[in-house]
Amino acid sequence: MKRWPRLLVFVGAGGVGKTTLAAAAGWLSARDGARTLVMTFDPSHRLRQTLGVGAEAALSEIPVAGAPGGRLRASLLDARTTFDRLVERYAPDAAARDRILGNRFYRTFSGSLAGVLEYMAVERLFEVRAAERYDRIVLDTPPTREALDFLGAPRRIVEFLDSGIVRLAFRSWFDDSGRPRLTRRLGPLGRRVEAGLDEIVGVDLLRDMVEFFRAFGPLYEGFRARAAEVERLLREPETGFLLVAGPGEERIPETLYFARRLREHGCHLAGVLVNRLHPPLESAGPWPPLLAFLSRRDGEGFRLLAERLGEIPLGGLPLLGDEPAHLAGIERVAGELETALAGLG
Amino acid sequence: MSKGVIAALANGLVFVTGKGGVGKSAVAAALSLALAEAGRRTLLLGIDPRENLHEWLGVAPSGGERLAIAPGLVLESLRPRLLIDREVETRMPIRLLARQLLAHPLYHQFVDGAPGLEELVVLAYVERCLHGEFDVVVLDGAASGHALGQLLAPALVAEAVRGGPFARLAARLRGLVSDPRRCRTVLVTTAEEMPAAETFELAEELTAAIGVPAALLVINQLAPDDLPVARAGEAAPLVLWRRRLARQQRERERLRSGWSGAVTELPWLPLPRGAALAHALAEWLAAAPEAPA
Repeated sequence: MKRWPRLLVFVGAGGVGKTTLAAAAGWLSARDGARTLVMTFDPSHRLRQTLGVGAEAALSEIPVAGAPGGRLRASLLDARTTFDRLVERYAPDAAARDRILGNRFYRTFSGSLAGVLEYMAVERLFEVRAAERYDRIVLDTPPTREALDFLGAPRRIVEFLDSGIVRLAFRSWFDDSGRPRLTRRLGPLGRRVEAGLDEIVGVDLLRDMVEFFRAFGPLYEGFRARAAEVERLLREPETGFLLVAGPGEERIPETLYFARRLREHGCHLAGVLVNRLHPPLESAGPWPPLLAFLSRRDGEGFRLLAERLGEIPLGGLPLLGDEPAHLAGIERVAGELETALAGLG
Repeated sequence: MSKGVIAALANGLVFVTGKGGVGKSAVAAALSLALAEAGRRTLLLGIDPRENLHEWLGVAPSGGERLAIAPGLVLESLRPRLLIDREVETRMPIRLLARQLLAHPLYHQFVDGAPGLEELVVLAYVERCLHGEFDVVVLDGAASGHALGQLLAPALVAEAVRGGPFARLAARLRGLVSDPRRCRTVLVTTAEEMPAAETFELAEELTAAIGVPAALLVINQLAPDDLPVARAGEAAPLVLWRRRLARQQRERERLRSGWSGAVTELPWLPLPRGAALAHALAEWLAAAPEAPA
């Protein structure tokens, strides 16, 4: 990787070391003079531990003590806080804001709505990027089930809003007594439909949802515009993706799958990094049998992956004796990362 | 010494979770093999949209069909979405209406977006399977954060929805996940700093969420400490391996001393991912006492 992109996104399956590498990349970037922000969506607060920042990093961007030149900041996001902030910011007036924040449906689910976590990651990314306080942003992606879900998050939310659910919510579905109007007008058949609906989802739930989407309506255009911007941001040439993979042949299909998905999305894949490779054993040994097995496994896996990736640059990072869980050890990882990135060409 | 690990998990829902990459699926597969071997009618249930459990049992992916793996062991990769559709079909009073509803884009958006719906449907399915058909359902759960969502969903929905079948279902499933005789969580970790720290966090959150502590902690992938005494001028890979082993020992002790419940350990075997490894781990589990000394 000759030139670092302005936005560097780390992706990959859970447990491969994305967060540590993102922190190390932030460290390198700051050392080289760039005002850098490391952002993570990390419900288990891994990056916070690694960078030694407190819970306040969920609310604002916190300087990382001991980082080169004081140029590294960290931001830790959770879906609920980001969602609340968005509502506060974009609601047209205090009444609209309170209607949303006070809605039962919102209060219970805003942190767990499907796709919200992913969507909020890109929203916040956009917000920070637009403020232009940083030369570079390093993003550690949310640990989703599909690992790349966040790529499609803006589009999904726009599709959802476009689907008419929000507009639909503005019709008067329920009369003043809280009974569905439609079914009352339909007479006996309507009562059966209502009973069916009630039997399946519960009319109360529908009413809460309708109220929520109605309250959400005024924010709709803003969401739509920003989602389109974020889509563009993820595809622009100044945005680079690094795919982190686990070692061994068995992880190859997963790695190829991620690489393909990124390409299909029009994202720029700067390279694949295989993390935690067991060392090659040059002499005959004797070696502990497990070490010999893992060394062979990782070597063969790396060779095969290189074949399969073709043009895509591939680099490797060795397994370290001590995996840093704190900033003190990040320098060592950063050194290895720098070597690996230089090798990506 | 108490009864073995397998005997302690022999009925109800066994919910397997842990940080990504620690070997959840391997442990879930091995547990299922050991339970079936012990004569329990066992269903191994996967909910990952990208099927992977079949790899551990040496069969081809089935695309959602149930597969008989061994006497008493069935594997199923669940598509929660299909379950929801089927439910609508059977419950809607008018067939034509049901068909129209299923085809309507709004229905799809509702089902995709409705929080907790998939989670509830999965648990409802587990409940049904435990009703006579199987003694035990091993659910290969999602990684930490999502797993919590799975177990929390009944409580969340029960709180948010005031009446109707959702509320009733949610309340019943809340009863299931918080009943230590019918639902047991198995946390899988490796003896490494990050997974260990996350395991303690998850354990705490789980207990807070459902009011029941995890039934078992599995410390997976323990490398055997089989190195000779260190000497000067040792080859670099050996020095590294020694450091890793020391680190592993430290984390292992931290896990064991910080954990108040049952613990079992699984070795890191020099075998590739697959059925041979799952069977070897199953044998290990079958022999494992609940809390080895």
